[in-house]
Amino acid sequence: MVAADVPQSIPTGVPEAAATAGLNSLKAVGIGVPLLYSLTFFAAPLVFLVVLGFWLVEDFQVVPALSLDNYLDIAEHMFAKSNYALAIAQSLWVALTTAFFAVLVCYPMVLAIVYVAPRSRHRLLLMLAVAPFWSSYVLRLFSWQILLANKGIVNSGLAWAGFENLQFKLLYTQIATRIGLIHYLAPILIVVLYVTVANIDRHLIQAARDLGATRWQAFRRVILPMSRTGLLVSTSFAAIVSFGDVLSGALLGGGAGASVLGSVPLFSNMIMSEYASSTNLPRTAALAMILVLVMVLMLAGGAALAERTKVDAG
Amino acid sequence: MNVISDIAAPQVDLELRGIAKNFGDFVALEHVDLSIERGEFVAIMGPSGCGKTTLLRIVAGLESMSSGQLLLRGQDISALPVHKRSTRLVWQNFALFPHLNVRQNIAFGLTLGRHDKAAVKAKVDEIAELVQLGQFLDRRVSQLSGGQKQRVGIARALVTEPEILLLDEPLSALDAHLRIRMQSEMKRLQQRLGLSFLYVTHNQSEAFSMADRVVVMNKGRIEQYGPPEEIYTRPRTHFVAEFVGSNNIFDGKVVDMQDGLIRVQCADAIISAAAGERPPGKGSTVSLVVQADKVRSSPIGMPGENMLGAVLSGREFTGSQVIYYLETASGGEVKMVAQEPFSQTGRAAINMAMQLYWSPADTVVLRPNIVPGVENMPGRHSYVALGT
Repeated sequence: MVAADVPQSIPTGVPEAAATAGLNSLKAVGIGVPLLYSLTFFAAPLVFLVVLGFWLVEDFQVVPALSLDNYLDIAEHMFAKSNYALAIAQSLWVALTTAFFAVLVCYPMVLAIVYVAPRSRHRLLLMLAVAPFWSSYVLRLFSWQILLANKGIVNSGLAWAGFENLQFKLLYTQIATRIGLIHYLAPILIVVLYVTVANIDRHLIQAARDLGATRWQAFRRVILPMSRTGLLVSTSFAAIVSFGDVLSGALLGGGAGASVLGSVPLFSNMIMSEYASSTNLPRTAALAMILVLVMVLMLAGGAALAERTKVDAG
Repeated sequence: MNVISDIAAPQVDLELRGIAKNFGDFVALEHVDLSIERGEFVAIMGPSGCGKTTLLRIVAGLESMSSGQLLLRGQDISALPVHKRSTRLVWQNFALFPHLNVRQNIAFGLTLGRHDKAAVKAKVDEIAELVQLGQFLDRRVSQLSGGQKQRVGIARALVTEPEILLLDEPLSALDAHLRIRMQSEMKRLQQRLGLSFLYVTHNQSEAFSMADRVVVMNKGRIEQYGPPEEIYTRPRTHFVAEFVGSNNIFDGKVVDMQDGLIRVQCADAIISAAAGERPPGKGSTVSLVVQADKVRSSPIGMPGENMLGAVLSGREFTGSQVIYYLETASGGEVKMVAQEPFSQTGRAAINMAMQLYWSPADTVVLRPNIVPGVENMPGRHSYVALGT
């Protein structure tokens, strides 16, 4: 019998303890490495930033302190001079609308991949959708500059086609900022949404159709509600990334691109220019802390919404 | 509905005419004809890949057919899209909407068009009572047991008042005990509603216990269509004989014919069988089918009909009966089922020589019939029963 051979080949006692110890040390490594990583590259810099926000600058020298001066100064400028509140509002407005339109563009693409394309083509189509991700972000923004410029490809093309009166002023507006961000976010959103939509059991859609639902009703009553968590996750992800992004606002938005709120820079662009021009690093750190705080609030909001739908879905 | 047609002979609910389906080069269905009468419970049975589920999905409109015609209560529905057909499917994996509760699941089909909320509620309550779900209407689907889930699946279909209910192995996801309870429940429900059920299963006892008529399918074709008793006692083809019940099959050549009996030379003995109305000619190759529970054993040396010597090679005690596995001199296996395990054979010992016999009247004759169009393929025979 095979079972009888096993105890003979493994002497009792010591190796068993060794095996348990081995497993425990494997567990320790498994938990320890990621923990060490996030302590080193996430928690430590964040703590440094928090601490730095309380330091002061005296005689062009950064001095350790425990002062709220930076925050008080920023609070003073919330609605005056630099007008940080307006910049935060601009950032929120741009981030939320970007997230909305990014999902609005990506979700139909994902639906087309999952439900229109044959299953054997899914991988290829996903690869194509994700391909822009492997080119440089800055390079993509420069390309958009060429496309969107007043005498850029879009407007020249329109003029060439005879639509001289149909010219768009897009570059250095927040519309251009959003276009750059959506192009940047699309590959990630498509992957996130693909996972959600591809996991919807096709039998459910067929069951809906069998019960008398048209294609549109099957989408409205089954696919859309079952995509809700994925849609919320990808929307909050897009909003948070957009809120923190600097490059699109600088290169396509021109630093202070126009939106319905006026020609107001994004909060992230404001921090960036403060960082580049001022010698007051602690104050910049305090501004950055405010950015982080708003991001955390957005994340919490998204998570709360997602959690509510999860409960709804049983 | 007019009175004359009500009086007329049994009405046909569903009629399948020459349904064929190809997936590329693969023939999933090959000219299937089938008709189901009003209020009939028809089970389609066959091994996996025989095309039974494809057939059901074609009737539902979820799958297109390569050729053929579908008539539902006399109306041609071949070109009708799935959502306009008054057929409803009950799913093997339940296919309940996880984002909706039980009430919303059942009401789904009623709330797609214009509807009166109070009327929908009343209908849902009524059907929920019928399938004993009344107290679960506010539950989430994930809080239900397997049996309750399938009740929701059935209620969701029935509430829309379909003209026929299609069931795709609806009980195969349930455990054996629950399956048997649900079988009788489903049969009662079907009889009470007088609704036609087309029920796909790979489970023979499920098909036999519920269905008025059983379809046995193999390789995209119908092998036999008839009442369960007929399928069981009078298999028409070699495939049905092998697939259904526990049959013994002997191949041989007809050597003699007299007094309404044909005598067939098989590997181990000459076996007699009732010749029937269209007996096969002398020298033709036939297969003989004997049900395992028609085989008896007698003391060695006693004369009688259809004597066959064999050695006991195995025994299976199932409670109410014992299945004996025996080996003939030529190495063929014979099964014998005895209801009274310890009477005649006593406690038969393995390797004991036994003498088996059975009545020629219990022997079904199958004549090999070459499948049309594939004459040149070696080994592809199907056997068709002679007049029974």
